[in-house]
Amino acid sequence: MNPMKKTLFSNSVAGLALALSLGSLAVLNGGCNKSQNTADNKSAPAKPKVALVMKSLANEFFSTMAEGAKQHQAANAASYDLVVNGIKNETDLAEQVNLVEQMIAQQVNAIVIAPADSKALVTVLKHAKEAGILVVNIDNKLDADVLKQAGITVPFVGPDNRAGARKVGEALAKQLQAGDKVAIIEGIPTAFNGQQRRLGFEDAMKAAGVNIVSVQSGRWEMEKANNVASAMLNEHADLKAILCANDNMALGAVSAIQAADKTGKVLVVGFDNISALRPLLDKGQVVATADQHGDRLAVFGIEAALKILKGEAPPADQTTAVDVVTK
Amino acid sequence: MNLKAKKLVEYMAMLVIWLGLVLLFGLMSHNFLSERTFVTLANRIPALTVVAAGMTLVLIIGGIDLSVGSVLGLCGAVVGLALVNFHLPFWAAILLGLGVGLGAGTLNGLVSVGFGIPSFIVSLGMLEIARGLAYLTTNSQTKYIGGAVEGLSTPVAGLAVSPAFLIAVLVVVAGQVVLSRTVFGRYLIAIGTNEQAVRLAGINPKPVKIAVFALLGLLTGLGGVFYTSRLGSSDPNAGVGLELSAIAAVVIGGTSLMGGRGSVVNTFFGVLIIATLEAGLAQVGASEPTKRVITGVVIVGAVILDAWRHHLTGKKFMLLKQLFSRPPSSKSTP
Repeated sequence: MNPMKKTLFSNSVAGLALALSLGSLAVLNGGCNKSQNTADNKSAPAKPKVALVMKSLANEFFSTMAEGAKQHQAANAASYDLVVNGIKNETDLAEQVNLVEQMIAQQVNAIVIAPADSKALVTVLKHAKEAGILVVNIDNKLDADVLKQAGITVPFVGPDNRAGARKVGEALAKQLQAGDKVAIIEGIPTAFNGQQRRLGFEDAMKAAGVNIVSVQSGRWEMEKANNVASAMLNEHADLKAILCANDNMALGAVSAIQAADKTGKVLVVGFDNISALRPLLDKGQVVATADQHGDRLAVFGIEAALKILKGEAPPADQTTAVDVVTK
Repeated sequence: MNLKAKKLVEYMAMLVIWLGLVLLFGLMSHNFLSERTFVTLANRIPALTVVAAGMTLVLIIGGIDLSVGSVLGLCGAVVGLALVNFHLPFWAAILLGLGVGLGAGTLNGLVSVGFGIPSFIVSLGMLEIARGLAYLTTNSQTKYIGGAVEGLSTPVAGLAVSPAFLIAVLVVVAGQVVLSRTVFGRYLIAIGTNEQAVRLAGINPKPVKIAVFALLGLLTGLGGVFYTSRLGSSDPNAGVGLELSAIAAVVIGGTSLMGGRGSVVNTFFGVLIIATLEAGLAQVGASEPTKRVITGVVIVGAVILDAWRHHLTGKKFMLLKQLFSRPPSSKSTP
């Protein structure tokens, strides 16, 4: 691929005019190569081109994931080419749809995608499949019903968030007693992985006989979670723990607990194992978090895609490991 | 009614609205009317307060700054970088953070005033630039700082509120004094009302306007320091959407988006109303969508109330008169 075009494509804030002209360029280019490329797809090209379409690269979790993928490609430069793209913020669905369309126009062999929305991306991914591109779903699982309605199957390679959250909840439950009051700070309520983590937390708490007195959204953000946690601590003076659906929100909850002078009295758990959480784990201010091996997640997806392209593996779902990290 | 009394009535009106909100949440939730709630409230608003105070002045001259959220994020990132990666002393990190804010604000002012480009556009550009720089400088990673910065947001012994809150209140008082008691403040209102008239009166409005943007930048830097200290970490995503909260607070406080009218103290009440609303809804346990709907309704409702009040009192007319009289003689305005 022309390297200049690559940088232009990855520049997600390019003006509308630029995007339009590039789009038509890509379509033209795609149109010319179409016959050749479909042939390539069938005979499994010697060096496939894989597009990694991420969520917000401003989020440490996803930037780590993308970094891991780039390193993997650098180590395996002979076996495939990689294009990495991300969107500006996690809720910018339209931009992610545009990215997928651009990748279709570029005639990549496989798209490995962490969808910003479990439903809204299905239509454009169907177009990708119709164009003969292999689609592998990572991180946030596409909605099964919508996939069925669209009449496509997309293999999912990623962690079981519910089981992971359950394990984290169980690690916390060891320090709680039946009847204790806890609260959950969930992510954006529409995100599938967020829902799964909430369910996993609830599973563990129910199994331990612990009372969940409040569930609110911190929208994945530190400051939002800080405010929500402060309110929870005010409202429930005897709160014993706050379960956060990601580590950023756990950081916010920890400062709220500090501000309320309740350090040590209210336990916190997170999810993701970001580096900023390390000192708090060491100090015991956060009990546990889940490591879903973020740096390897995209790589798992890419490896699965390469295998399927070579015809080695059937396109089926694969579950990757989630480990509980404590002090 | 003289101007002073009028101002007092306005402050009281805002206070009553805020108290009403507090009472409402007191009735709806178990523990809202507790000391704890107010301490939490006081310690969460400093960043928004100082930014909104600066924003008030910018709106008064008829400008706007959409970049404050991003600039706040960048300043916080710089503070984190200085402390964690460069191991600079605390004061140096803070100065660096404030300096970056001041620089961004000054640039906004210089470009928009110098080239005559609407500040809306210039600051929209700055919004992207500053956020991008925040990601670049931090490598998109949250940095945990811990004890070094938390002092600013830890309640002072025996006082329950943090130094950050006290500084924020000082900024509000100073801002109001500058606005209503100094020649500079008078210029701001005059520029917002009729810039052409100011120029014809032999005053060059450009340096004044640039100074106002620079001041907002500096205050945004201060907000970034507060934000970082409250969370004990620097977060490159800090302040996303803060510009809208700040503008909402200013507008709830009765400052006109068209310029020429406003009050920093009322902006502070606007901040209180927004923060109370957010805290109260969280404490009641309202769902995310409900929170957003209610917040939106309150913002628009407050502005409608304000517009209606000004329509009734013919405030616009008063202001015109006030403009053409020197500050001391304005007391004699009928």
